[in-house]
Amino acid sequence: MAFLKKQNRVKFDGGGLVLFDEVQHAMAVEKVLKSAGYTVKLVAPPPELRKGCDLAVEINLFEQPGIERVLREKDMAYASINPIRIKTAPLIEVVKVTDFGKWVMVKAGNMKITYEKGSGVIVNVSGGGCPDIPYLHAELLDKQLDKAKRPKELGFTLCSLNLERAFDECLALYSGGDGK
Amino acid sequence: MMLIAGTVPIKDMPLTMGSVALEDDFLLVDGKRIPCTQGTGAMVSAALATTSYLGLNAPHALLVGDIGEGKGSRELYQYLIDHIAEISPNVLALHYWLPDMAQTRQLCTAIEKCEKRPIMIADAASMYSAKAAGRAESFDIFTPDATEIAFLADLEATHPAYINRHLFEADISHAPELARVAYENHGAAKLLLVKGATDYIIRDGEVLATVTEPDVPTLEPIGGTGDTITGLVSALTCAGLEPHEAAIIAARANRMAGEYARVTPATRVRQVIAQFPSVFKDYLCQWSKVCYVKGGD
Repeated sequence: MAFLKKQNRVKFDGGGLVLFDEVQHAMAVEKVLKSAGYTVKLVAPPPELRKGCDLAVEINLFEQPGIERVLREKDMAYASINPIRIKTAPLIEVVKVTDFGKWVMVKAGNMKITYEKGSGVIVNVSGGGCPDIPYLHAELLDKQLDKAKRPKELGFTLCSLNLERAFDECLALYSGGDGK
Repeated sequence: MMLIAGTVPIKDMPLTMGSVALEDDFLLVDGKRIPCTQGTGAMVSAALATTSYLGLNAPHALLVGDIGEGKGSRELYQYLIDHIAEISPNVLALHYWLPDMAQTRQLCTAIEKCEKRPIMIADAASMYSAKAAGRAESFDIFTPDATEIAFLADLEATHPAYINRHLFEADISHAPELARVAYENHGAAKLLLVKGATDYIIRDGEVLATVTEPDVPTLEPIGGTGDTITGLVSALTCAGLEPHEAAIIAARANRMAGEYARVTPATRVRQVIAQFPSVFKDYLCQWSKVCYVKGGD
């Protein structure tokens, strides 16, 4: 009897929290993100992450940049986005630069951009594992650093956030002359 | 049958499954043309180059368009959850997608219903989700790079962007130590092929082999040269090699292809993939002790 069949409900486990200073902001953000197609859930944050209210929106942490973009575009108020597990470190800010002579490779987290020193043309993008990275690879290749769209404008995931950091460093090196 | 599942950067491409063929510079799957570029395209291309050389059936690919919005990834997960038992591949290699921990757990449960458990391989974000969902030990092979092995070692991290700084700053020479921690924390597959200046093949915390030659540092900037290693190890495992043997040969072949292609940081991954048949012809017999295969003359 099909109508008696128990529905197999999957518990949402997103790994990230949007935190707020006001409860009503959390409710509004939940609505906006659901309308934008994201799977989200209103939850109580752990005490260590409370910023003055007891309501947060759980998100899939991998989707942080896309969610930040939606919240920015809709002018939604929120305090911060954090990993749900409190022992987890803050976002890695360290960048590493490797000089290949004619080219420079900049690594931020798990992402790398390589550009030609003289022209500032991006010749390769590597690393990462989220689905926007092959897309960003195709979009950024053969573009000049100072004319290319930024990874944060095109990407949706944490990998693209790391790529944005690498991109920033490439631009600084190129425009500052260090990477020319 | 080997099944490779992942996303491709073609917005709105529907879920597509079929045997893979090569057409000009593109992969052809059920009439869809997929570029041989960084990501799942490079992985599938490397696997196809290997099976073609060995005279084996071409890999099957389950692909979907997703540029990061996640819709395609969710469809891919659900299709696998619903159909993996009837597909029952010998090797299941999972690659790029938007990680979803709950769906990953469901998939691991669904795989238990396969008539024979497939050899499970994960790289890229499917490796992230396997670890973050606490299912790393369900997998036979992970192929992390230096940053990703630090992620696997970090008990709390759900993405390589959020790992402890001291782990992130460890270079590839610390891979054995990080792998040991990853195994202690149940964050590693049975076998790890850690890709870097030195490639480490590690099983249950023990370093079985390292590969350092040829030394081609200009492979690192080339997008897709990690993906090709995963494609190689998947195809060689499907060919019957033990996972650690497949991993050693994959690491060697990738480096050698880089050397053959005389890569620079501006080289494209398809130029590396194009060298695999020559590398296999020159070295596969010596490396694998299997010298009777078609194409090995």
